[in-house]
Amino acid sequence: MTGSQTTRNAPEATEALRLVRVSKTYGGDGTRVTALDDVSLALPRGTFTAIMGPSGSGKSTLLHCAAGLDKPDSGTVFVDGQELRGRSETELTKFRRERIGFVFQQFNLLPTLTVLQNTTLPLKLAGRRVDLNRARAVLERVGLGQRLDHLPSQLSGGQQQRVAIARALVTAPSVLFADEPTGALDTHSARDVLTLLQESVRVFGQTVVMVTHDPVAASYADAVLFLADGRLVGRMSNPTAQAVAERLTYLGDEVARQRRQQRHQVGLDASVATAGRPRKEI
Amino acid sequence: MFGLAVRSVRRRATAFVATFLAVFLGAVLVMAFGALADTGAATGVSDLDQETLTTMAVVVGGWGLLLVAFAVTSTLTLSVHQRAMEIALLKSAGATPAQLRQMILGEAGLLAVVGALVAVPFGALSGRGLLALLKRTDQVSEEVAYAFGPVALGTGLGVTILAALGAAVVTSRRVAAMRVTAALSSAAAAEPRPKRMGKARVIAGVVFFGISLQLSVMAALAGPEGFDAMQFAGSADIMFGLGLACFAPVLMRWTTTLLAGPILRFSGASGYLAVLNLRQRTAQLASALTPVILFVGIGVGTLWMQVIHNDTTPLSGVSASEEAVETLNFVITGMIVLFACIMLINTLVAATTHRRREFGQQRLVGATHRQVLGMVAAENLVLIVAGLGFGTIAALPTVLPMSYAKTDSWLPDPEPGLWLGTAAVAVVVTLAASLGTARRVLRTPAIETVARAG
Ligand SMILES: Nc1ncnc2c1ncn2[C@@H]1O[C@H](COP(=O)(O)OP(=O)(O)OP(=O)(O)O)[C@@H](O)[C@H]1O
Ligand SMILES: [Mg+2]
Repeated sequence: MTGSQTTRNAPEATEALRLVRVSKTYGGDGTRVTALDDVSLALPRGTFTAIMGPSGSGKSTLLHCAAGLDKPDSGTVFVDGQELRGRSETELTKFRRERIGFVFQQFNLLPTLTVLQNTTLPLKLAGRRVDLNRARAVLERVGLGQRLDHLPSQLSGGQQQRVAIARALVTAPSVLFADEPTGALDTHSARDVLTLLQESVRVFGQTVVMVTHDPVAASYADAVLFLADGRLVGRMSNPTAQAVAERLTYLGDEVARQRRQQRHQVGLDASVATAGRPRKEI
Repeated sequence: MFGLAVRSVRRRATAFVATFLAVFLGAVLVMAFGALADTGAATGVSDLDQETLTTMAVVVGGWGLLLVAFAVTSTLTLSVHQRAMEIALLKSAGATPAQLRQMILGEAGLLAVVGALVAVPFGALSGRGLLALLKRTDQVSEEVAYAFGPVALGTGLGVTILAALGAAVVTSRRVAAMRVTAALSSAAAAEPRPKRMGKARVIAGVVFFGISLQLSVMAALAGPEGFDAMQFAGSADIMFGLGLACFAPVLMRWTTTLLAGPILRFSGASGYLAVLNLRQRTAQLASALTPVILFVGIGVGTLWMQVIHNDTTPLSGVSASEEAVETLNFVITGMIVLFACIMLINTLVAATTHRRREFGQQRLVGATHRQVLGMVAAENLVLIVAGLGFGTIAALPTVLPMSYAKTDSWLPDPEPGLWLGTAAVAVVVTLAASLGTARRVLRTPAIETVARAG
């Protein structure tokens, strides 16, 4: 446990992740895109959260900012009760090594390393003991037990994705971010991966934050956050695939309505943007 | 989106700049010596002057020509391979292999023509400088008028453009034949990595060794008088260096095998990554080996040769012409060694800049700046050891016969200062170019460097 902060937005010791009014803008004049617009959220430890929203709504940006891979323009991020702002890149890297796992949308496997080498690389870089048996066991779990010595270029997209998942799990991070971890997988492998993620939450008390477009995948989570145009627009607890699918269908209309609302009432913020509060479902 | 475009143009710019620089400097070098032949061929030049000028143009210009052809070929090959991903994307979007070959050939041709044309005024000036030096050292009579004409232009434009087009034809054929999926799944692993060396490379290497051997024999048999031994010995190191360059990937692999143990033992995760890279990407890392070998080989070889010559020439016999030849020797060696040195920097900067994405991926998995720099340093250490070792071997075909001709003993007096000086320059240049570039590359946030593929 980490000591609690004394700042105004001090996170609870039981919180794995807290974002406070995080905004991020890309591009310059003319091409300016607001990827995240004043996002605040808090996720308790040992929870499995799915993040959904249309393509380009800022899901990857949210994950990158939350994991300390990208710097928000404004706002604060706390992981495991520790503020990320104001750390040097090296400090951040060391912090990430210890507590954060990340499955990238584009996998980002190193092309010169084999499956097993890719999986154990985070441990090597962190100077931690490399437990080959554990690495093999994790790879076995994602169905790659027979592929340990293959290079990424010799694997299918889905297989590469599963290596990326194994790599993120092998360090036993307290918070695991996964950007569409089942995007390249068939139904069967996707179910295996989702069960694995669920297990890491239930059995090992890890916190998982997963971006997905798939309502079935989202139904494995404890809660779903909906993102549109860089803003949190809703939350659903104990989601079922059907409820999520319906909700997504309405999301477009909801965004349009919120935009209209915003035009009328300028000071709109916390009521919709704070995700911690459950909302009545539509 | 705009940021992405700018980054991609900038990334390509470094690849283009490398090729452009090789063509430009190569053309300047070749034109300078070509101009001597033009000057000698003009009417009214005495037979003696003409012989001096033509010999110099043919002998020195000849090596220069080979060196330049080599440099242009290797830089262009590197830059085309670096674009394997882009080429694969074009292919997946429906470009036919013929269209891709045309594109690569067109770009290479354009780059080479522009580079060579820009070089013309500089080549003309350098040739004038060389002639002035020859006059000042009394090799050529004062009244000879400088001419810059068909030989300078023909060889200067010819060798650079032909080398660029030749390399483009070979490389584009290989790249265009590559499977799209392989190239897309990861640009780096998809770069053509032939298991065995091409036949052409082996043959070229053997030919260079043969020429070098012949020059060595002629130097050894030339006897102690005058400059005869020097004339032959002087180019033996260049030929041997070019021969070794043909086998660069193999040499790099040997050195890796030799050093892998100690590196793995002493440098942690950085060394681990370095050794894996050295094993998997020998060809890319070997592209910088050629200039190191040439730099060390020619530097040590020529300087040592001059020392042997000076030591064996009686003090009383040191004439103005002796000093003149020494100056000339240093200027010519200087030009070639400088060319090798710039090619070394050029190659290292281009190759390291291209690894932006790889560095980014390592950082995302938890590598600190220090670890990435440590990896680059370990890789370049292997490059340096190979370059110093084989470069020193390349100097021997010059030094040993020279010693035999002058002193009847194959073994010259050791010159540790000379060797250490050359080695120090090679080490500093290699580390500064690669680590400096890596440091610059690391300034971009890791997440941005990997953003482009998606
Ligand atoms: N590096 C960048 N430079 C400029 N704009 C960017 C960059 N990264 C993201 N954006 C923009 O920010 C917005 C959010 O992008 P983000 O990648 O977070 O979306 P996403 O919700 O993950 O979409 P998808 O479901 O397609 O992965 C998009 O409009 C995108 O164009
Ligand atoms: Mg995304």
